[in-house]
Amino acid sequence: MKSAAFDYAKPKVFSEALALLTEAGEDAQLIAGGQTLLATLNLRLSEPSILIDITSLDELKGITVIGDQLRIGSLVTHTEIEDSKLIEQHAPLLKAAAPHIAHRAIRNLGTWGGSLAYGDPAAEWPACSLTLNATMLIAGPDGERRISAQDFFIDLYTTSLEPNEILVATEMPITNHNSVFYFHELARRHGDYAVAGLSMVAQKHGNVLSDCAFTFFSVGATPMMALKAQALVDGKPLTDEVISSAVAAAREELEVIADITNSVETKQHLIGVLLERGLKHLIA
Amino acid sequence: MELNGEQLIAAPIPDVWKGLNDIDILAKSIPGCEEINRISPEEIHAKVMFKIGPVRARFAGKLLLSDVIPDQSCSMAFEGSGGAAGFAKGRSRVELKAAEGGTLVSYTTEASIGGKLGQIGGRLISASAKKIADDFFQRFAKELGGEIVPLESDTQPE
Repeated sequence: MKSAAFDYAKPKVFSEALALLTEAGEDAQLIAGGQTLLATLNLRLSEPSILIDITSLDELKGITVIGDQLRIGSLVTHTEIEDSKLIEQHAPLLKAAAPHIAHRAIRNLGTWGGSLAYGDPAAEWPACSLTLNATMLIAGPDGERRISAQDFFIDLYTTSLEPNEILVATEMPITNHNSVFYFHELARRHGDYAVAGLSMVAQKHGNVLSDCAFTFFSVGATPMMALKAQALVDGKPLTDEVISSAVAAAREELEVIADITNSVETKQHLIGVLLERGLKHLIA
Repeated sequence: MELNGEQLIAAPIPDVWKGLNDIDILAKSIPGCEEINRISPEEIHAKVMFKIGPVRARFAGKLLLSDVIPDQSCSMAFEGSGGAAGFAKGRSRVELKAAEGGTLVSYTTEASIGGKLGQIGGRLISASAKKIADDFFQRFAKELGGEIVPLESDTQPE
């Protein structure tokens, strides 16, 4: 199939993009890498009146470190994250997660900001941005605003982005020498959507983990942090008893939704499997 | 696909029943509802802009009510077509019961979804249906001037 007809605009400056977006209203659609959007257009699941191509906007580009913050522009591709020395040094979780995103050809075009703004509950970047306590930088007609990842992802495919706003970049604190991380997903084959996934960071001192952030994805309507499990692990020696209590808590506390092939019980089981593996990896 | 759930609405049964049968209230409660008409006491036609994630499609559908017992329960059969995006049809049963704090609305739905929507949307169809149902009840409770009272066991689509 081919997409329905649409207008196309490629603004050179940021203000022009915002003006176009405001003018066109909800019928407009931003396009960056287009790795999800083009498929849905060609299948005619969606028929926007105009596509606004934001790939010329310099404000949305580049990976930079400013003080103790890492800034990732929305147009940075998955491949750039996978290959970046700055990411490897300051946010190694992202480097570990990148190869799980589809396949290299898709990673060459798909973008960091596109994945966050789309808010697919199975996607890697929304989960990682939660784990790393990221802040979203958003621009709209009334200027810029900042919002934490925790408040950004509201519901299934629903973020706090308004139709006339653009996600410019994301900032997150850089890692330090006590940081440990783990990223894993259980998928039926490589590149497929995960049945369940887990993204973790913590501070490690001997066999004690603190400042834990455990984010599960592809198990509910949004990526979700296992707050009770985090609290159970935080600040005490990581014994087998602590691990099993955290596993039990995570299975219990998250609002899991079944998908077409996997029941709630399956997903809850996999949450525990992932958490046990992750904790053992962090402490090893 | 099956979608079963219950919602506790802080309003008395007659108000909830009246609301469910008032197309003006339904128009304001159904997410994306653009047009709704009652053709006969048992038949309602509606146009809905379905907007979730990758999908943005306009559905035209009809709803046939049966086994209507005022203030208690009714069954409905529905079918809708979204052009190239696909179609949905199914049956739903709604029951009202008095409960502490208001009215307990329980619903069971069986639906089949076909076309592109069924193939592509399959992965998240249950989650999407749950979101739409939750959105509907939030708006509906607001229209009645009540609110949704959180239940211990939430909607559990299968």
